[in-house]
Amino acid sequence: MSDLVGADHIVAGPGAARYVVDSKLARAVVFPGSVEEVSTTMAFASAEGLKVVPRGSGTKMALGGIPDRVDLVVVLSRLNGVVDYEPADMTATFRAGSLLKEAQAVLGRNGQFIGLDPPYADLATLGGILATNSSGPRRLRYGASRDLVIAIRVVHADGKVTKGGAKVVKNVTGYDMNKLYIGSLGTLGIIVEATFRLHPMPAVERTCLASLDSVDAARDVVARILDSPLVPFAVELLNPEASRRVAEQAGLPWPKARCGLAVAIGSIRPEAVDAQLETVRRLCREAGAAEGHVLEGQVHDAFWRATRDFALGDGLQVVLKASVLLTKVADAVRVGEEVAAKQGLRLGVVSEAGSGIIRYHLTGEAASDERFRQGVAEAVNRLRAFAQEAEGNVVVLDAPPEVKSRVDVWGLAEKALPFMRRPKAEFDPQKILNPGRFVGGI
Amino acid sequence: MDKERIARELIGIVGSDGVATDPGELRVYETDGLTIFKAMPDIVVLPRSAEQVAGVVKVCHRERIPFVARGAGTGLSGGALPVDGGILIGLNRMNRVLDIDYENQRAVVEPGLVNVWLTNALAPRGYYYSPDPASQTACSIGGNVAENSGGPRTPKYGVTTNHVLGLEVVLPDGDIVNFGGRTLDPLGYDLTGIFVGSEGTFGIATKVIVRIMRTPEAVKTLMGVFETIEDASNTVSEIVGQGIVPAAIEMMDNNSIQAVEKGVAAGYPLDAVAVLLVEVDGPKEEVEALVGPIIEVCKANHVREVRVAKDENERLLLWKGRKAAFAAMGQISPEYYVQDSVIPRTKLPPVMKLIGELSQKYGLRVANVFHAGDGNLHPLILYNSANEGELRKAEEMGAEIVKACVEMGGSLTGEHGIGLEKRDFMPLMFNDDDLEAMRKIKKVFDPDGLLNPGKIFPAAMRGGEVGPAGQREALDKVLRRA
Repeated sequence: MSDLVGADHIVAGPGAARYVVDSKLARAVVFPGSVEEVSTTMAFASAEGLKVVPRGSGTKMALGGIPDRVDLVVVLSRLNGVVDYEPADMTATFRAGSLLKEAQAVLGRNGQFIGLDPPYADLATLGGILATNSSGPRRLRYGASRDLVIAIRVVHADGKVTKGGAKVVKNVTGYDMNKLYIGSLGTLGIIVEATFRLHPMPAVERTCLASLDSVDAARDVVARILDSPLVPFAVELLNPEASRRVAEQAGLPWPKARCGLAVAIGSIRPEAVDAQLETVRRLCREAGAAEGHVLEGQVHDAFWRATRDFALGDGLQVVLKASVLLTKVADAVRVGEEVAAKQGLRLGVVSEAGSGIIRYHLTGEAASDERFRQGVAEAVNRLRAFAQEAEGNVVVLDAPPEVKSRVDVWGLAEKALPFMRRPKAEFDPQKILNPGRFVGGI
Repeated sequence: MDKERIARELIGIVGSDGVATDPGELRVYETDGLTIFKAMPDIVVLPRSAEQVAGVVKVCHRERIPFVARGAGTGLSGGALPVDGGILIGLNRMNRVLDIDYENQRAVVEPGLVNVWLTNALAPRGYYYSPDPASQTACSIGGNVAENSGGPRTPKYGVTTNHVLGLEVVLPDGDIVNFGGRTLDPLGYDLTGIFVGSEGTFGIATKVIVRIMRTPEAVKTLMGVFETIEDASNTVSEIVGQGIVPAAIEMMDNNSIQAVEKGVAAGYPLDAVAVLLVEVDGPKEEVEALVGPIIEVCKANHVREVRVAKDENERLLLWKGRKAAFAAMGQISPEYYVQDSVIPRTKLPPVMKLIGELSQKYGLRVANVFHAGDGNLHPLILYNSANEGELRKAEEMGAEIVKACVEMGGSLTGEHGIGLEKRDFMPLMFNDDDLEAMRKIKKVFDPDGLLNPGKIFPAAMRGGEVGPAGQREALDKVLRRA
C-alpha cells in the first residue's frame, strides 16, 4: 500500500483508532492524493479482496449498518479543491474531499453557492454529502443533491474510473448515472469529483419566527403557507426543546414549552422579501400563533446555522431521520414527543415541514445505557410504524453500535430488497465496498 | 416469431380491439417525431392497465420477442422506433389522472396522459405540473419520463427528473415493481432517478407520481429585440449574473422569426436579428422588482426595443410564437432536421458564429430557436429531400454542430434523447469504461436485452443491441463521418 499512496499517507495500528467504523478497527487507513491513487488503491483492494470503507471528514460515519469487516478506510480529504469553475455558466466542479464550506467560500466571491445546507455543513465534504444524500432546510427551494449534481466521476470497486452526466445544466446524454451514486453510501463506487449547478445567493434573506402552543396549531399555518403563492426557501417546525436550544444559540429569548415555526424568504430585493413576510405573519396571526418576529442579518444566519447543525449536546445520542407526507409532519412530531415521553428520553425535533423531512434527536441523560438502548429501539419501531402509514420511512442517522445492533438502521421492506441487490451485484460483485452498511445489508 | 399465434395470445390479454397486425394499421407506428428513420413493428398492442402491460411483456419475455413502448410518438431521436421489429406497446389508452393530492403536492397519473392535460386538471385549484416541452399538447407524461423531457421553464424549475418522485414499472420480465413514492428520500438506490431518462430501455412505467406546484401569483414576459446574436447572448448571461433566475429565457433568430410570423403572427419584428423572450414568475412583489433590472440589462446590451407583455393575451401570443416555431418551419422550408446539443452558456456567441459558417459551407439555411437560459440549442437545418443529397448534407451538418458543441464542453442532447439517432455519437462524450458502467445498469433492468434494442449504445459496442442490418449500415455511414 505504501507504494501506491506513499508511506506518509497510510496509517496502521494505534494511529488508525480514530478511524474506527462502528468500533471496528481497519487494518490500514489510506489517504490517496489523486484520482489515480484512489483508482490504484481500489484495484489493489479488489485484487486482494480487501473490504473498503470510503470516508470524508467522518461526520456521517455512524450512518448505516455495522460493517461486516473493515480492511481499508480510504480517506478522501487530500483529494480536494476546485477542478473547474466558470461563474458565468453557473457550474463548478470540485474534488470529492473538498469541504462544502470551502466550496461555498470560493463560489461566494461571485455571489453564487451550491444550494445545499446539510447538518455539519462546516465540516462535511462534498463526497460525503452526496454519498449519504444529506440535505438541510434550503432543500425546499433548491432541491437535494439529486437536483444539483450535473456530472460525477467515480472510482469503481475494480479501480476503473468513469464519469456520468455533463458539465452543462441540461443534459440527457446516456443514462443519468449521477442518480445511481448519490445516496448509495459508497456501495457502488467512490465519488471522486462532482459538478454542481449553482444558484445566485439572494441579496436579502429574512425569516419570520413564530411561536405556537402546540404542534397541532402548526399544522394549519404550514398548510396555508404551502398552499399560498409564497415562495419560502425553508419552512421549519421545531418542537419546544429544539426551539429553546436554537433560539438560545441565536441569542433570542424563547417562551417556555412552545413550538417554533420558521419561514425564510430570500430575494434580490428587500421589498419583495418584506411583502412575503407580511403575508406569513398574517397567516401565523390568523392561526393563533404569537406574532412572529423577523430575523435578519447575523441573528438570521445564527438561527439557521443552529437549526441546520442542531444537536442535543454531550452524552449518549441517537439521531433519526423520517420522511413523511407533508400532511403528516405535525403528527410525526407529536408521535415523537409521545414515544420519547413514554420511554423517558429527551427529544429535540427539527423538521422541514415543506419537504416532509424530520430529524429526531434523542438523549437519555437520566437513563442507564441499557434503558436508553431499549427506549431508542422502541422509539424507532413506533416511529417507523407511523412513517409507513405516512408513506415514508425512518432511518437511524447516528447511533452507537450497541443501539444499531438492536434495530435495523434502514428498515427497507423485504419485498423491495431483491431488486435493490441487483445494482450492487453488477457494480461490486465481490462486495468489497462498504459491505453490510447499506439497506438490507448490501 | 409465429405472428398469428402470438397475436391470438395477445388478444386474450387485451381484447381484439387492442391488437393490430394489419400493415395499414401498423404504418402509423413506423416512425416517431424524427421522420427520417422508419421501422415497422410486427404487432401493435394497446393495453389498458398495468396488468395487461405485464401480461404482454411476459409473452415477449417468454418468446424472446423484442418490444418497445410508445407514448404519443412525438420523440425526436427515434426512441420509440422498433428497430428489430417485434411488439410495440402503445400506452395511449392508459391516460387517466389517478389521483390529485393538493395538500401533499402530488399527482398520480398513467403514462399515456397528455402532458398539458395534467396542468389543465390542476389549474382550477391554482396548481400546475411544471415540465412543459414544446409538444406538451400532444406528448405523454410516460414519454416525458423516458426522455427526461425539459421545456422552456427548466432554468428555474428543472426538468422531468426533478418532478418525478415515484413510479410503478413493468420490468422486462413482466414483474410489476414500485420505485420511490409520494415522499422524498425513499430507501436504497434512487431507482426512480436512474429510470427517468432511460429512453424506454429499462422498463415500462405504468404509473407516475409527480410533484405538482402552486401556480405563481404573477408572471411577466418581456420581449427584447436585438441587432446582433452577441448582444442577445450577453443579455442572457448578464440577467443571470444579476442574481435573477428567470423561469424561461428563449432566443429565436431571424429565420425563425420569419417562419413564426408567417405561421402565427406572434408580433416579432421581421427585421430583428434575434428576439429574446424572458419570463419571470413568483409572488407579485418579486416579479415587479425583477422587471426593472432585466430591462436595464437589455438596454445596456443595445436592445432595439423591449416590450413587456401588457396583458395575458399578449403574453400568450409571444409564447405561441415560440411554441409553434418548429411547426411554423413549414412556412419557409419543406423539411427540417433539428439538433439538441447543449453548450455552457458562455459559449453561445462562438457556437452561433460556427453554425452561421456551417450554413454557408453546406448551403443550407438554419433557423435557431433555443433555450438560451440553459444553453440548449435547437438549430433547425432546413432542407428539401426532393433535392438529391440534401438530407444527407443536413445530417452531416448536424453532426458537425454536435461535435463542436461537445468539444466546447457541452452535451449531445439536452432533452430529445440519444435514441437511435445519436447513439454513434456517444463515444464523443463517453469512453468505453463510462459506457460499460451504463451497460451494467441496463443489465440490472433488462438482462436479456429485449426492451427497446438498438438505442443509446453505439452500434459497434458489445451489448449495444442493434437494428436491422440495412438501416444500420445507412445510419452508420452518415454518422461515422462525425
